[in-house]
Amino acid sequence: MDAFKETLIEELGTRTAFTIPLFGGIPVAESVVVSWIVMAVLIVAALLLTRNLSVRSPGKVQTALESAVQFLNGFVKTNIGSHWRPFAPWLGTVALYIGFANIIGIFGLTPPTKDISVTTALALMSMLLIYGAQFRYNGLAGGLKKFAEPMPLLLPINLMEVIIRPLALCMRLFGNVLGAFIIMEMLKFIVPAILPAVFSIYFDLFDGLIQTVVFVFLTTLFTGEGIKEEE
Amino acid sequence: MSLAIIAAGIAVFTGIGAGIGIGFATGKASEAIARQPEASGKINSALLLGCALAEGTAIFGFITALLIIFVG
Repeated sequence: MDAFKETLIEELGTRTAFTIPLFGGIPVAESVVVSWIVMAVLIVAALLLTRNLSVRSPGKVQTALESAVQFLNGFVKTNIGSHWRPFAPWLGTVALYIGFANIIGIFGLTPPTKDISVTTALALMSMLLIYGAQFRYNGLAGGLKKFAEPMPLLLPINLMEVIIRPLALCMRLFGNVLGAFIIMEMLKFIVPAILPAVFSIYFDLFDGLIQTVVFVFLTTLFTGEGIKEEE
Repeated sequence: MSLAIIAAGIAVFTGIGAGIGIGFATGKASEAIARQPEASGKINSALLLGCALAEGTAIFGFITALLIIFVG
């Protein structure tokens, strides 16, 4: 039991992959290195998949890519409204990054989203997007007025939401990935063969993808809420 | 240490609320889809949002339990 507890505590912390020997040593966390791997995979995939694009005779890959982009654009359009254009690329990139980061546990690497710093950064960027868009498209006065909607009585609740939304986004992603990771470690400790592979399909693939969808969907919805015009 | 473990167990009880909430929401969503299959897209996205928010409580309880065990 003690060995089990030790492995759990060890898994809970973030390991340092290596230290840059500058200014007395800058520790580089494992999540950063795995993030680099995810970025490299995405960049190479983007470069390879977008070669030889053509208007007249699109190949199979191009058709698949186009329908994926179209799906993303349609999704953002229905949730954000007429100002959807600048948001789609950002949301798609975040979705790709979180999706890959969550399912990378299948390949034996530690998911970067298990590190609370990564999810905090993602949630803070979402917060900037939500409230930045609110002020960008409504002006300063209009953006402030949005906090008093649908009625001025809700002003304190809307102001509290500025903190609660990113906190909930961050904790939801972190808690889900960490929970799945801990359960997988427990399983690997108790039954080292076969059974973890079966559960990995649920905890790594299904849960990871669901959390990606939830994160992007909530960000889109909150952004849309701030800038949608009344009909 | 034993008291902390009991406290962590109580913190994880937040999962009950999330379970009931998500189950209820999913049941109602299937009823709605059965009644109006053409609106299933909108119902699904509303269900997903509701489930994500309801699940948040369970996650907060889980993180509290982890904090109690490993930090407190």
